[in-house]
Amino acid sequence: MMMSKQAPSIHLDPGLEIGYGSPLARFGQEVTLTGGTHFLLARNGRGKTTLLRTLAKTLKPLAGNFRVEGFVQYLPEDLRFDPEITPAMIFRMLLPKNKLADALELAGRIELDVKKPYGRLSTGNRRKTNLIMAEFSVKPDTGNILLLDEPFSGLDAFARQAFEEIWKKSSDNVLRLVSCHPDYDSMEMPSAVMIEGQNARHFTGEGQTWSGLKNLMN
Amino acid sequence: MRLFRLTFATILQRKSWAICAFAVLVLPFALPMISSATEKPILLQPARILAAWGTLWVSTLLWGLFTAAREGETNAKTGVGEYFQTTGTSATRQLFEIWLAVFSFVAPLALITAAISQFAAAPSDPVERSMWLVLNLQYTALFLLVIAPLLAFATAIASRFGGITGFTVTLFITLYGLYGIGYLDNMLKLEANPILHGVWLFSPHYNFADLTQRLYFKTGALPTNAFWSMTVYFAGILAVYVGLSRLCFRTKLSA
Repeated sequence: MMMSKQAPSIHLDPGLEIGYGSPLARFGQEVTLTGGTHFLLARNGRGKTTLLRTLAKTLKPLAGNFRVEGFVQYLPEDLRFDPEITPAMIFRMLLPKNKLADALELAGRIELDVKKPYGRLSTGNRRKTNLIMAEFSVKPDTGNILLLDEPFSGLDAFARQAFEEIWKKSSDNVLRLVSCHPDYDSMEMPSAVMIEGQNARHFTGEGQTWSGLKNLMN
Repeated sequence: MRLFRLTFATILQRKSWAICAFAVLVLPFALPMISSATEKPILLQPARILAAWGTLWVSTLLWGLFTAAREGETNAKTGVGEYFQTTGTSATRQLFEIWLAVFSFVAPLALITAAISQFAAAPSDPVERSMWLVLNLQYTALFLLVIAPLLAFATAIASRFGGITGFTVTLFITLYGLYGIGYLDNMLKLEANPILHGVWLFSPHYNFADLTQRLYFKTGALPTNAFWSMTVYFAGILAVYVGLSRLCFRTKLSA
């Protein structure tokens, strides 16, 4: 069945509570995210992964409701493939044929050795493999939601820039919610969901940077 | 079928399947050469049958169940299962795709064995030969019917309790069904015991699916009624294992 083209979106109702047994975070206000890149910020153990898993529907919310519209892919931080399989085989098995050449071209550009067994790749190169797999699995005929858990950890600056360029180009039909720990103050974050204490809030604004947001985190 | 393709490629890449393929192809010809069949050529054909089907059972029970268990465990432990679940591949579908990938390696082993049994170990007597094809087909069908749900069960148990548990539990069940049940049968013949009889009754009688002795002694194909009764019996066991496997299977470790 063909899916009609739709804009991706995530609606979080006020009162949404996430956690494992006891609440980790609660949304006091309604949050609506649409196509583009949104950052998810919080200190360690405050619920970034829990929120992503909840939105990916592999974890139930403790209270409240949310709506996710689009083809979802949740990329866990610790996702790993069999150590003996190569990135080239992963791409060949998981990606549509018409995207394989582009995926391999990007892999070459960001210096990912696609013929090396996955188990012998560095952390950063494994991350590149996972990201390429997810990015090129995006469906062109429908809205997509990519929930990326710490995609930048271990990634070199050049590769990171390459992915950010892809993100800019596909912001219309792809919503990306990216959990991360920013490593430079001037990092632009026009849209950021922040979990501070047990409250989760959405901050938006052109020119909004990590330096302005980090002071709000306790 | 992305998970099927990934699992199939993973198994293919590990190359341990090649050892099984080599064993299934070569041992039926090599083993009789180091047995007493070299002195009595009349024993060559039965020795080849024993070697062919014996190698198939050993390969499947050791490599097949281990591979199924390993795939179930890694799917749950590495985040791959969770990733596929979020893309809309349900747990049932994941179990099916992993099972299909493993079965795609096991089924050809059975077909190779049946072919060796048919073309390289067929009796010379025309009457015996006429029943040979039917018996080989019956054996192959029953073998696959027994092994298929056990592979799924190994995957499912491993996804919840770990690969070693998935492998050993299913290996034990199969060995019990093939050989243990015979000992239980003998015990019941010596002394009636209602509890043991109940255990015997609800045990999987995999020994019915092992037709090696029938080939060895050239006792001919199973009567049609008996074959269909066994098929229904093993299909019933398959249904039970499918249900248990689905209940047991999970796509990610618990939080």
